Amino acid sequence: MGRDLGARAISRYLVFLLFLSLFGAQTSHAQQTHPTESQVKAAYLYNFGKFVTWTGTNAGSSASFDICVLGKDPFGVVLDSTVAGGNIGEKRVTAKKISSLQESDHCRIVFISSSEQARLKAILAAAKAGGTLTVSDIPHFADKGGMIEFVPQENRIRFEVNLPATEEAGLTLSSELLKVATRVIGKTGN
Amino acid sequence: MAVGYSRSISRKLTVMNMLVSAAALLLACAAFFAYDQITFRQSLVRTLSAQAQIIGANSISALIFNDPQSATNTLSALKSFPNIASAGIITSDQRPFAQYSRDAGDEVLNIPAPPDGRLEAYWFRATHLVLVHSIVFQGKTLGFVYLRADLHELDQRLKRYAAIAFVVLLLSLLAALIVSALFRRSVAEPIVQLAEVARAVSQDNNYSVRAAPTAAQDEIALLIDAFNNMLQQIQHRDNALQAAHDELEERVEERTRELVSSNRELEAFSYSVSHDLRGPLEVMNGFSYVLLKSYANQLDSSGKECLQSIRAAARRMSELIDDLLNLSRVTTSVMHREEIDLSSYARAIMEELCRTAPERNVEFVAPIEVKAYADARLVQIVMQNLLENAWKYTSHHDRARIEFGFEDKDGRMICFVKDDGSGFDPRSTDRLFQPFNRLHTSAEFPGNGIGLATVRRIIQRHGGEVWAEGAVEKGATFHFILEPNRGTEAGRPV
Repeated sequence: MGRDLGARAISRYLVFLLFLSLFGAQTSHAQQTHPTESQVKAAYLYNFGKFVTWTGTNAGSSASFDICVLGKDPFGVVLDSTVAGGNIGEKRVTAKKISSLQESDHCRIVFISSSEQARLKAILAAAKAGGTLTVSDIPHFADKGGMIEFVPQENRIRFEVNLPATEEAGLTLSSELLKVATRVIGKTGN
Repeated sequence: MAVGYSRSISRKLTVMNMLVSAAALLLACAAFFAYDQITFRQSLVRTLSAQAQIIGANSISALIFNDPQSATNTLSALKSFPNIASAGIITSDQRPFAQYSRDAGDEVLNIPAPPDGRLEAYWFRATHLVLVHSIVFQGKTLGFVYLRADLHELDQRLKRYAAIAFVVLLLSLLAALIVSALFRRSVAEPIVQLAEVARAVSQDNNYSVRAAPTAAQDEIALLIDAFNNMLQQIQHRDNALQAAHDELEERVEERTRELVSSNRELEAFSYSVSHDLRGPLEVMNGFSYVLLKSYANQLDSSGKECLQSIRAAARRMSELIDDLLNLSRVTTSVMHREEIDLSSYARAIMEELCRTAPERNVEFVAPIEVKAYADARLVQIVMQNLLENAWKYTSHHDRARIEFGFEDKDGRMICFVKDDGSGFDPRSTDRLFQPFNRLHTSAEFPGNGIGLATVRRIIQRHGGEVWAEGAVEKGATFHFILEPNRGTEAGRPV
């Protein structure tokens, strides 16, 4: 699958912008046009909610749409500012920091920090039972039974999807989402 | 000529038909083409809009998760639409995100500005249609998709339309030809025939021909009927005129015949009378002469006087008979016109008159030459009579002046003989030229009243005129014209 000239031009453009943001003036404009890695990841977390349908046990039981961060929080205020005022479906999106999944049954999406790598199996089992979408940037997260794994690729944040894991948790991922994933595990014909 | 006319009218009909059908067809074609262009453009915009919407919907996740590759894949589906030259997605902050172009190297450099506040906008360029559609996801504008379709198909449609219009035009012109050929039979042919008849009438003056009537009840039929009626009327009038003319001619001929025969009878009668009167007169004259010569000594002076009177009367009667015979001869003799000099005649006559009475003091004036084209013998008689009259009616005056001359009036030569003698009462002018009609007694002036009657006969035989002017003791002038009234003629005075 070779990339065409247009994609390469855009990549070069993005590299140039990154260079500018690193060594150039730290202006608000530069920050706006070139978001940081945690900003991108926070936006992705928020946007995943728009392409996933929850049919699991905790669906609809909460008044808000909770995006939880489990373990050491890499986002800080970034996630809060990203979801601020946002709605998914009819529900207000809120960001929560939790230390265990048992703390809250209402997490729709949980970002598992790399600090939780040791407890991964238990966390995944709990999430599967609760119908929670698991997202992490732990390497080989998807191969280990996680649902969506952030992977850096050519200075960009991309993601891989473990389709059987989502199905087992009672989640339906939009084909639009699968289309932009770099790798879909368990996809027929892949 | 008539063939040229016929061609022109049927050609006009044909040309008219063709022009009308061609104009109607071209107008219809133009209207259809304009309508087609509009609807085609509208449908092009609709199709492009639908494609933009589909591409937009399929590029939402690519835009959200910043995956230009996915968007490019979506755009590459446009390969199946050969009319789309290029397409692309730009982000909401105007950055190019993904591009597609049908032909390699056909980079789209100028990305049109997205519409402000509107979901969609399109622009028609000379060769392209550019459409921009906003990609909106959950109330948020993520970016714009634009499509650039070329308008080659419009050109192709135009060419196709032109070809179809051309073929239909040819067919309709052919149809117009056929239709005009049919109309020619019902419209042009009758007119052509009518024109032919009119030509025959005006050239050959043949009013018996008639234009063939048509079966139709239109203005042409009316025209033909009216024309035929007109011809009939002209023919009737002609016939009536000819009949009247013939009748008149016949009547004139009849009258002439009657006149000629009665004239001949009259002349024969007068000739025989004159001739027969001569015999006894000669006897009277002869025996009175014998009586005077042989028995002069036996007669006394009064007897001799009686005899002299008888002889004078006989001589006068003889002269009268001569004049009557002359008059008769003047009427019947054959005319022979030639060029003559009236002046020399006048001079000869005057010389002769002067010799008979040398004691008279008469001045005679005449031009050197007065040329006329007339019968010499008859004109001699005219001159003789007129000059003798002048001589006679000036005899009571001691001095007299007689003039012969001519004047030119409106190209006709009027000759005259003028004297300053006794003249006449102008009221009696009409009686002057009647035979045996005398204004003076024989005692006053001798004569028998035949002279001027003879003059008038001769002048009339020449086709001319004669008239007199005068007053008592103021002299008389006799004018005469020897030529018929017809402008130029030989024998005119120089």
